[in-house]
Amino acid sequence: MDTIVITGASSGIGLETARILTNHGFNVLGIARCEAKCNRAKERILSENPDAKITFFVADLMQQREVVRVAEEITFYLDKNCNGKLYALINNAGCVRSWYMTTDEGYEQQFALNHLAGFLLTYKLLPALKKAQGRVIITGSKSHKGIKVRWDDVMLCHRYNPLIAYKQSKLCNILFAKGLNDRYAAAGIRAYVVDPGLVNTDIGNKETGGLVNFIWALRKRHGVPPAVPAKTYAFLCMQKPMPEGLYYYLCKEKKYSGQVTSENANRLFELSERLCDIRYEEVEMV
Amino acid sequence: MNVMITGASGGLGRALANECGRRGYKLFLTDINEDGLLCIKRGLERQFDVPVATAACDLTNAESVDKMLDFIDKHEIRFDMLLNVAGLDFEGGFLGREREELVKIVLLNNAATLRITHAILKRRRPGRPFTIVFVSSLASMFPMPIKATYAASKRFLLDFATSLRQELKNEDVNVLTLCPGGMVTTHETICSIKAQGFWGNATTNPLEGVARNTIDRALAGESIYVPGMLNRVLSFFGKIIPRSWVAAVVYWRWKEVTGDVSMS
Repeated sequence: MDTIVITGASSGIGLETARILTNHGFNVLGIARCEAKCNRAKERILSENPDAKITFFVADLMQQREVVRVAEEITFYLDKNCNGKLYALINNAGCVRSWYMTTDEGYEQQFALNHLAGFLLTYKLLPALKKAQGRVIITGSKSHKGIKVRWDDVMLCHRYNPLIAYKQSKLCNILFAKGLNDRYAAAGIRAYVVDPGLVNTDIGNKETGGLVNFIWALRKRHGVPPAVPAKTYAFLCMQKPMPEGLYYYLCKEKKYSGQVTSENANRLFELSERLCDIRYEEVEMV
Repeated sequence: MNVMITGASGGLGRALANECGRRGYKLFLTDINEDGLLCIKRGLERQFDVPVATAACDLTNAESVDKMLDFIDKHEIRFDMLLNVAGLDFEGGFLGREREELVKIVLLNNAATLRITHAILKRRRPGRPFTIVFVSSLASMFPMPIKATYAASKRFLLDFATSLRQELKNEDVNVLTLCPGGMVTTHETICSIKAQGFWGNATTNPLEGVARNTIDRALAGESIYVPGMLNRVLSFFGKIIPRSWVAAVVYWRWKEVTGDVSMS
């Protein structure tokens, strides 16, 4: 049975994707921050499908030490139960903020969770992905268009704008996926970004206030249920041979920003490696 | 520039440390939270490649402070700037709080701040200007029922800093008092801002802007910094309206937000 890790799996798109993938017979390892929500999500999946293989790991991926800890726990699980193989990693956890807030490392929170957490988790799980010639799927957004990475102030400390911070983090998602493909496609690992479209989830109402909270509360009413984008994740997990595109919406390849170049991807890789104190090229491949 | 920051692993402390790191300052960070200190040290070194030293210390404990000062002296570290950020508050009215919690507010916000300020002034880099920032609060401008101890402790800092500034003027020392409104640093502060509705949002100051302006203004020799136009207007009215009236209005306002907690 193939194993898939999903971050942000206790609600919204992550939960729906976990539900669909367990129904297709995958062994799903979910990661989420709140233990009670993990338990509720697990109950919901099992109530629909008592044979579902679902295990939750609790971690606050905003903090890098938590990413490292949960990655070690998952690696231990994979070694013990799955011959060390990880079929797919879905970096879905994300956040929206109304104000400039930092992680324990002093990193801006949207950049830290939406991009750096996935960057570090993927690095930690890379040997297991390589063993299975696995896939990395990242939750992106159409909002990655119409913006450039602010290389001189990537944490947006100067005049913080929450929307710009979100858009930039989503551009980073697709640059990261491009960087992964440039480096590891030859080794059998492929990375994809899913544009979920406008989805009716609570992402814009968690830890937000003022205008962001108000606008999201209105906007999400027009969003599709999380089950709609979840089909695209399932499609990308199950297609054989692996699709060769980068950016997908409703199971179809879509055009992405002209900012997504190998040059920018390499620059982001270098910056992110420094901020996580890791070197992808030093990962021992099996 | 060698800078010491107390309370460096909390929200404002981290933002100020980031601002100093961006400017290439060398940092000495202290906080009671050792894990938090190590995290922010790692983040600063990775982002800005600046030297960062840390020492976990309980500033309310003289022995703990002495131990940190021994470390500083042993390594002959001398400072150009001190950012007094460490401080705390406990939610609830006077009788609703534990006795020792109330005392702790004054012990950290006031006694410990005096202790570290005296110690670091004695360890300033010779022949160079010195800058001190005291993190007070907008609450220092008003008598604040339901936050009485906290507001009074912040008033102490404001008055003390104003006097110290005068006393040390000829010693090439500048003292700035920062009096911010709310700042979003934790989940709890978000809840508090939401609970206050319009006024919560209106008096909230952007953390990154406050950090940048505080350093700019301290270096420019300013004495007091109240971020935000509305907060400056409120602090002006705090000066001209009789204090008993202000206390009555503030009590009514906080009671609305928190429920009547003064006797609970």
